[in-house]
Amino acid sequence: MPDSHRYAMLLNALPYHGPLFGAKQTPLSRFRLHQRLVQLEPADASDIAILGQLLDWTHQDTSRSDEQAMSEAKRQVAEIANPFAHDLAVWRLELRTLIAALRRRRRGDLAPENNRWGYGRWTDKIRRNWTESAFGLQGVFPWLPEAARMIALGDALGLERLLLQTVWNHLEGISGGHHFDFEAVVVYVTRWDLIARWTSYQDEGGLERFDTLVAHAMADVDLGRMIETEIAS
Amino acid sequence: MNEFVIALGWAGLYGVMALSAIGSIIGCAVAGQAAIGAMVDTESGYGRYIGISVMPSSQVIYGIVVMFTLQRPVTPETGPALFGIGLFAGLALMMSAVRQGQACASAIHASKTKPEIFGLSLAPAAIVEGFAVFAFVFALVMAGGIPG
Repeated sequence: MPDSHRYAMLLNALPYHGPLFGAKQTPLSRFRLHQRLVQLEPADASDIAILGQLLDWTHQDTSRSDEQAMSEAKRQVAEIANPFAHDLAVWRLELRTLIAALRRRRRGDLAPENNRWGYGRWTDKIRRNWTESAFGLQGVFPWLPEAARMIALGDALGLERLLLQTVWNHLEGISGGHHFDFEAVVVYVTRWDLIARWTSYQDEGGLERFDTLVAHAMADVDLGRMIETEIAS
Repeated sequence: MNEFVIALGWAGLYGVMALSAIGSIIGCAVAGQAAIGAMVDTESGYGRYIGISVMPSSQVIYGIVVMFTLQRPVTPETGPALFGIGLFAGLALMMSAVRQGQACASAIHASKTKPEIFGLSLAPAAIVEGFAVFAFVFALVMAGGIPG
């Protein structure tokens, strides 16, 4: 069977995800997604697992130093066998490095003394152009000045939206010609993660709104008196 | 030399059927797997997915018909013609079956998400089928010119 159609069954078993910001929930639950990904060959399943460990924030140990985190990331990236998945992991880590640099500068940090604080090919250029708004990289990353502006304004939601859209657009660009192969699975799983992240903010927002509404509705209610009345009757 | 030409003749005679069968095997397997995947994700329309997935089986039927049409005593005179027609008709049928299977897998994927484009999504697979029919019909026409 041709390799380009290796995962025709798996990809047809995955529901269409629709546009990133139009989704109210993920196209299928995390449990169902993992259940379907069982069809992956062992080497491909390992690549997907490494990508998850590398990029999922819940898997990150925040007690590690930057150098430790980068050294661990390099080790994990080297274990990814598929070139497409490998390049995607590198691209996303470089994107995170750029955002980390913007945040450090916003915090008032000076330019890093070495290149071990971040990942990828831009660390040296960032260090040398620390005072420039987009580190002189706006030609390579046209969205970077906008991200810098949002960080300066403290617009966390706008920044998150911009970054999710940037990753989504990058996936759009690299997924051409991949319909039923492993690369298409990588794109689907990455998009599922982006939708899960965006919809989780909606869930958190919904909970906060619910709490606010409940607090507002209960503001004039004296629960103690209500209970006493109920007991007396 | 004559023995070699006779061997080529037999290869062409059986090759057309074997190559088209290989194409149908691959095409039906790809489209069939896509159909199974679609059935996991949907609640209805199973019959139409299976129906699409067997489209690449027509090529092996064309291959069998061409093989019987070519069938005649294999001699140094008929061998080269049998080889040429059988081999190239077989290759065309094989390629069309493989590609049709891929077109069917895409049609299943698209119509699963958007059932209203079911008919249109089959157009590429139908066009590929048309080219297989060309290869089939003209193999029959050319076979009529072989002596014996």
